[in-house]
Amino acid sequence: MRVNGAPVATPAEADHGLRLLDYLREVLGLTGAKEGCGMGECGSCTVIIDGRAMTSCLVLVGQVLDAEIRTVEGLAAAGHGPLQDAFVARQAVQCGYCIPGVLNSCAALLDRESDPSDAQICQALDGNLCRCTAYNRFYDAVHDAAAARHPNGAGA
Amino acid sequence: MTPATPTLLRPTDPAAVSGLLAGARAVAGGTDLLVQRRAGAEVPTLVDLTGLARTRPAVTSDDATGELTISAVHPLTDLATGLTDGAAGAFPALSAAIGQFASTTIRNRATIGGNLVTGSPAADTVPALLAAGAAIDIVTPDGGLRTVDLAAFLLGPRRVDLAAGEWVTSVRVAQPPVEGGFRKIGGRRAQAISFLNLAWQWHREPDGRLTGVRLAMGSVAPTVVRLRTAAALLEAQLPTQDVVDAAVAAIDADISPIDDLRASAHYRRRCAAGLLREALLPPSGTARADQYVTPTTREKNQ
Repeated sequence: MRVNGAPVATPAEADHGLRLLDYLREVLGLTGAKEGCGMGECGSCTVIIDGRAMTSCLVLVGQVLDAEIRTVEGLAAAGHGPLQDAFVARQAVQCGYCIPGVLNSCAALLDRESDPSDAQICQALDGNLCRCTAYNRFYDAVHDAAAARHPNGAGA
Repeated sequence: MTPATPTLLRPTDPAAVSGLLAGARAVAGGTDLLVQRRAGAEVPTLVDLTGLARTRPAVTSDDATGELTISAVHPLTDLATGLTDGAAGAFPALSAAIGQFASTTIRNRATIGGNLVTGSPAADTVPALLAAGAAIDIVTPDGGLRTVDLAAFLLGPRRVDLAAGEWVTSVRVAQPPVEGGFRKIGGRRAQAISFLNLAWQWHREPDGRLTGVRLAMGSVAPTVVRLRTAAALLEAQLPTQDVVDAAVAAIDADISPIDDLRASAHYRRRCAAGLLREALLPPSGTARADQYVTPTTREKNQ
């Protein structure tokens, strides 16, 4: 298992049935992913597994032993600092509880779509609830981040 | 915290699965099982099927017959890609159903196998498969294979024809016609359990008549059901207003909706009529609700 670009100690067999969310938070000390509903509906625990956004409350450790996992703690190192900066600049963060999951959904989108449309952002965020309802600012921040990564407007 | 940590086994060889399943339970995307577990369900040793996805493609089509074989252990995201890939054939109703299924994060985990074995009358991938006359390939405890028609596989709410130690490996359908679709009615667009849903497929002959009409509706009976009476009234007909009116009126005979926490039986009957009517005669000049991505308010205002 690799987490945020570095290999981590192979989880003990007794831990294979743990939720990835609990393993990240309680064993690896990565508390960025938050538990909201614990049922895959709110998106607060979203992490990126092999390039795709998934809710870590519905993934068991033993299912991802050979996976590349990215959490909010590793986003900047993966080139998504501009996305995080844009969230700050656009004041897209209010209470903040949903933000690690939202950032991961947006980062996974930007990794496959260099200049996503509002409709694509809407779809990428359809599993992330923000009850402060800063969605319009999320859209603005993603557009800003896309422009920052491709300053000449070059699409992939 | 969640209940006691189960043992999890992860075979990567399909032939090894049956030997591990004795006294255990299969898990794939976990999007239903882990929700049940959180609600207090006892979970025995789990055998994870997602490791099998690397041993085979998500979707294959038979060059000679066009029959599609759809993996039961791949996430829906992979199926959506496979079904729109020209080389692997197309299945418009299933593609539309996946597009309206839960959310991006869930589509990245959830499998057809899981959606089938949970036996929910509201399962969103099942109507397209039932309309297409799908066959379910099941691996038996001795490692053999048995195939059952989906219509016979669905026994009732949360009941399917799957014995202990058996697991669903794939789903097969005859090459679907180019015209087909799926639409659901839910409390909101994302993450909604369907109040009801409808899948359809038919051939449109050069003179406009519909043939091979097959309709299936979810959340209006103990299992997803075919709308056989309505389909028979449409068969070999031009979908004129009169023909559509007759087919829509016939739905009532094919469904038996109940009042539950999501919707009333009365509401479901009214919506069932509207779903079929709009599938046959799409309203013009309005956004089609089965198109998953809609413009945001901001885009509309630009």
